[in-house]
Amino acid sequence: MVVPADEIWVKRMLDIGSFRASTCAGIGRRAFLQLGSAIPAGLMLGPSLLAEGAKRPRAKSVIFVWLWGAPSHLDTFDPKPDSPSQYRGPFAPISTKQPGVYFSELLPKLAARSDQFSLIRSHVTSQSGHPDAGTVGLTGFQERPTPVHPNFGSIVGKNRGATGDLPPFVMVGRGIPRDVVRKVEGYGGGRLGTGQDPFMVSCSDDGHVELPSLQLLEGLTPNRLTDRNVIRAKLEATLRRLDQSSPHAWDRNYQRAYELITSTQSRAAFDLTQESQKTRNTYGQTTFGQSCLLARRLVESGVPYIQVNWSEYVECMTPNCDFGWDTHIYNFELLQDTHCPIFDRAFAALLDDLSGRGLLESTLVVAMGEFGRSPRITNRAARDHWPRCYFSLWAGGGVQPGRTIGESDKYAEDPVTTAISPLMVGTTICELAGLDTQARAEMRVLDGGTVIEDLL
Amino acid sequence: MTTFDDVCSSFTVPPRHSVRGEFLVSTICTLHQFKKPNMRVTLCLAILILSSCPLTSAADPIRLTTDGHTKRDPVFLNAQGTELLYVVLDKPNQLRLMKLSLADQAISPWHMSETRSEFEPAVSTSGRHIAFVQNRGNLSLAMVIEDLAKTQVGEVPPGGGFSGMHSPTFTRDDLRVFFSYPEEGRQQIFSVNLKGEDRRTVIDSEGVNNWPQVSPDGRQLVFSSSRDNDYEVYLADIDGSNPRRLTRSPGQDLRPRFSPEGSRIAFTSNRDGNYEIYVMKLDATGLVRLTNNSEQDDFPLWDPDGRSLIVVSERDGQTDLYRIATSAF
Repeated sequence: MVVPADEIWVKRMLDIGSFRASTCAGIGRRAFLQLGSAIPAGLMLGPSLLAEGAKRPRAKSVIFVWLWGAPSHLDTFDPKPDSPSQYRGPFAPISTKQPGVYFSELLPKLAARSDQFSLIRSHVTSQSGHPDAGTVGLTGFQERPTPVHPNFGSIVGKNRGATGDLPPFVMVGRGIPRDVVRKVEGYGGGRLGTGQDPFMVSCSDDGHVELPSLQLLEGLTPNRLTDRNVIRAKLEATLRRLDQSSPHAWDRNYQRAYELITSTQSRAAFDLTQESQKTRNTYGQTTFGQSCLLARRLVESGVPYIQVNWSEYVECMTPNCDFGWDTHIYNFELLQDTHCPIFDRAFAALLDDLSGRGLLESTLVVAMGEFGRSPRITNRAARDHWPRCYFSLWAGGGVQPGRTIGESDKYAEDPVTTAISPLMVGTTICELAGLDTQARAEMRVLDGGTVIEDLL
Repeated sequence: MTTFDDVCSSFTVPPRHSVRGEFLVSTICTLHQFKKPNMRVTLCLAILILSSCPLTSAADPIRLTTDGHTKRDPVFLNAQGTELLYVVLDKPNQLRLMKLSLADQAISPWHMSETRSEFEPAVSTSGRHIAFVQNRGNLSLAMVIEDLAKTQVGEVPPGGGFSGMHSPTFTRDDLRVFFSYPEEGRQQIFSVNLKGEDRRTVIDSEGVNNWPQVSPDGRQLVFSSSRDNDYEVYLADIDGSNPRRLTRSPGQDLRPRFSPEGSRIAFTSNRDGNYEIYVMKLDATGLVRLTNNSEQDDFPLWDPDGRSLIVVSERDGQTDLYRIATSAF
């Protein structure tokens, strides 16, 4: 069958691709919009009716920092200095702003800011493999039965809708979190539909932002893009042939995507060159640091939910694997040389920046992984997976700062206080983002979830 | 009336000239010993003028790279100290060996077409071999030994399962390579010949033993160990016997490196709150803090003539190689 040339063109346009939003030197010369089939419907839909019934959110925006791979809780926020050497590890505890509360010496900046956030030390999850636990961590539920439950961000995104041209749920990382075998099924909209999938963005260590939902199309320049009528007419005609049933939906989708990069507001939200060099340096010249800075810019632009992934190929030494914090080997070296210094600097900068701009009160910031790591040091002098006990950090957005919630036993193997589940995490996030019990019930999400009251 | 103490308390160390600032603070403190107020004030004013001038003194760290990407593991490629090998996070998924020519600051990949992560290089005393850690798959890392033609002459392959070598370093006779490797819940120091064979245990204790380096006379081995809780610096005979602890500090003492003449050891420590470079004598006396940077200083490397150190320093969020002249301390 011979495919018309214009259909080929449109199919190419529909491929998932990338849009080089900006470099440090400014907007890329060939930056171009491509309408992506992966562009979430949330991008083209306005706020849902549910939002009208929801109560006023304490958190206008949520930044969910996903420490993919699972950081060691003992070597970070739940040290056990009095445990035997086969548990303790080489890192010493340091004081925090809270009397009697100690962090690892690898986190001095966050120890000095412990009054700005609260710490939960009694998380438990039901899964011990990355993709399974990832889905539970991001949705509150196991992957089966399908369809999978939606990511907390998809719930908030659907409830709140897009802000102007910007999508309601942005995921900053390098693609969908995955291990060697497969991706995390619960990364996106799940049973709410692919339309509630996150809008994927990646960010390099020098602040170069790419939007994989949009495509750099060879041969078409921003100048040609501005000839909107020509492109639009061509696209509409072909799309109608491809999908006679919903030409108007395609039209709206195209328009949203087009406006995303042609509007000054949207482009600026993704352009880190508009930040001062001092601000960019404060976050650190690392992928994770600049990703956190991008999240803050998106908060300023009104995006309701941003998930920052310490994810695929972020500060990673073993390619072909989404390594993250999965320190089965080199645990102590990696935490000491890269992971903790990078996280300590960037997360502290994020809290300071949000606070300094008066945004922290209206922005909920949560940081956590999918589980913890084995308290007993392994044969490889490192730590394996540990779903029975791990931590999270909470700041802003209605959370009372400076609290340490939950307690683990003497080896940090299990909580000795009430276990806090991922479902409780999602419920609390959504509650603070304005989805009360009724709103959640109407959306049929987070069934059975309870709020972590100690945070409020 | 402005007093000497007021002047001192208003003194701020320029962050970009921290070593010079530290020197000036030291000098100011010395001035406390002057009894005549006029003399003290005069000298204070002179110091303030000096501190406010954008001088490029010998004590200023010299920036050797400028891209700001994450770096680590500098080593000299030759005894003349004209070429460096270091590691950069070149892409998000690749740590890459890079060669830096100090004469013209030219930088080039050591293995031009390599796509695997390679890091922790070591160069033999003769300069004829290098060893480094190379990624071989998911959480699986080997130690590779090459000649200067970049032809592999030996390797220690990854062990079973998730496994990786650490911190290779050559003996002074260039016949063996020491490295750190975790087994049975602890991380020991082993040695192999240049083919990667004939593995012998050198250091075995509880905890993590890492970052070995052989003394210039070939008789001693310095390394860090967590056998006594946090990392401390230890010295042992070259066969691993007679280990003795050199440092006793809170926090971590890492990556010890013998000075070229063998009388001092440079190392990284966070004993004062963040990572700085320190130097001490082999008997652990004469401790001097070399850097005073609010961000991280790490990976000390002695210049072959002993008159300066190369360090990986984070400044304003950017990580680069710097040279610190020993005259600064």
